[in-house]
Amino acid sequence: MIGQLLATDLLKMRRTGIWWIVFIGPAGLAAMQALNFGLRYDYLVLDQYKSDPWAGLLSSVGSFVPIAIYLAMTLLMSMIASIENRQNSWKQTLALPVKRSQVFASKFLCCLVQLLAACVLLSVSIVIVGLALRLPGEIPYFDLLTLGFYPLLASLPLLGFMLWAALTLRNQAIPISLGIAASLVSVFGGSLSEAIPLSWPSLVVAGQETFLFMGLGVALFAVLYLLGSIHFSRKDVA
Amino acid sequence: MTEMMIETRNLTKKYKGTRAVDALNLAIPQGEIYGFLGPNGAGKTTTIRMLLGLIKPSSGIVQIFGQDLRRERIKILRRVGSLVEYPSYYGHLNAVENLETIRRILNVPKNRIDEVLRTVGLTKDAKRAVKGYSLGMKQRLGIASALLGSPELLLLDEPTNGLDPSGILEIRELIKRMPKEQGITVLVSSHLLSEVEQMATGVGIVNQGRMIFQDSIPNLQRKAGSEIHIALSEPDAGLITARELGCFPRLDQGKLVFKGIGNEEIARLVAALVDARHSIYRVEERRKSLEDLFLTMTSGAGATAETNGEAGTSAGGAPRAAGLPKEAAQ
Repeated sequence: MIGQLLATDLLKMRRTGIWWIVFIGPAGLAAMQALNFGLRYDYLVLDQYKSDPWAGLLSSVGSFVPIAIYLAMTLLMSMIASIENRQNSWKQTLALPVKRSQVFASKFLCCLVQLLAACVLLSVSIVIVGLALRLPGEIPYFDLLTLGFYPLLASLPLLGFMLWAALTLRNQAIPISLGIAASLVSVFGGSLSEAIPLSWPSLVVAGQETFLFMGLGVALFAVLYLLGSIHFSRKDVA
Repeated sequence: MTEMMIETRNLTKKYKGTRAVDALNLAIPQGEIYGFLGPNGAGKTTTIRMLLGLIKPSSGIVQIFGQDLRRERIKILRRVGSLVEYPSYYGHLNAVENLETIRRILNVPKNRIDEVLRTVGLTKDAKRAVKGYSLGMKQRLGIASALLGSPELLLLDEPTNGLDPSGILEIRELIKRMPKEQGITVLVSSHLLSEVEQMATGVGIVNQGRMIFQDSIPNLQRKAGSEIHIALSEPDAGLITARELGCFPRLDQGKLVFKGIGNEEIARLVAALVDARHSIYRVEERRKSLEDLFLTMTSGAGATAETNGEAGTSAGGAPRAAGLPKEAAQ
């Protein structure tokens, strides 16, 4: 059933432009670094990151990954929710013979699939940038793969919140504002207390206790997801 | 006894103290077109949402196909088609894609999409984005969605709301065909009695969350009763003549009004009045219009008893009982 729901949700996204966000986000990040490294090639590649230019490229991209992931979660979730919210199609969707918890899960999977696709796109476009710049040295395939994926895991708590807020609140301005505020705060993630979940993706990017913060991210997400799913399953649909 | 498709017992929904639906007992047998009638804010939509499991009753039981909705929700919904209030659709998709989103969940063959589009007459516009549709077309698409899973029970909430007369006629004919052709039981809500009268076989009237009348349409019409009006030259003298024959009419604007009077009696009465040298201008039967009856019932008091609307005219439109709370489910 969850497969059918997911197929349905993907069909509903046709012509909404949602996949453009998935595409433009990573491409934009890569383009920014292409410009940065292209214009300051001599300084960055031949001087500052001389020992390992690929690692230099990845760390330059990495500092923008947390805010990009938070913004993507906010935008994607609110777009996914707006498909149902706009004509109040919830009453039709939920009057179908489906479990509400599965509808909730399907919306989450939609967003997750898109975020993962964005991570893969990011890795691919960074490789292209690196190759185009003819950076010397080995291509760090493993670091490229984890470039988006590790911070994504540490960012999941926000998705847990957005999922619930976007799918249950009528007024989408609330989740969107909160999501954007969280993205902005995450820029200063490195200087925030570790107790604040918004700092976790930055800490993962910085390579401090990577697995601890990823684990915490997944665990906190699981709690938020469960609470959201229970509320969504019980609430009255207007 | 026929099998009940929908049965509710003491169905109640409270919103912050007010009862949107109050101890409602519905009973809808198979093959019926059940008109669910009531003024705006009477609790019709709230009830239909509870029948679909969209909102949870504060108390009471819903049984559909003889099964408890709480326990067998998914099994029941598989056999139910619904259209709640204004139609739901995805404007950026065309009609086929809209139906496909539902078809994938119901798991019915692809050709059902063509079939339901033909049923509601949207085949020609099937490939256009739905946001460009007129309200009537969206409404028909909503009905197509409801029919897609070949349901045994159809719940339609105000399906003709906002449609023009030809659209209303079209949808009415469509609804009337369903029980005959496909054995579908239909619950259709409306605030227009004339509309329900034209398509339903049974009727339930709700007001302020309470069921105030539930019976067949002929019984409703019988309850409306009829009166014989006799217009004549000297009504006061006629009144005495009538009394001598054992009839006790009331005098209303120079006419004698008889309630519940048989053919024989009328014949004797007219003969006696002619013998008494009255000039008789008119003898007519007036049925209390159903709009009046509806108003009388929904306003609780007999305030409309003297309005005495002319038979056949139902230009009054939607009867609105004054002072009803706004529908809490909005």
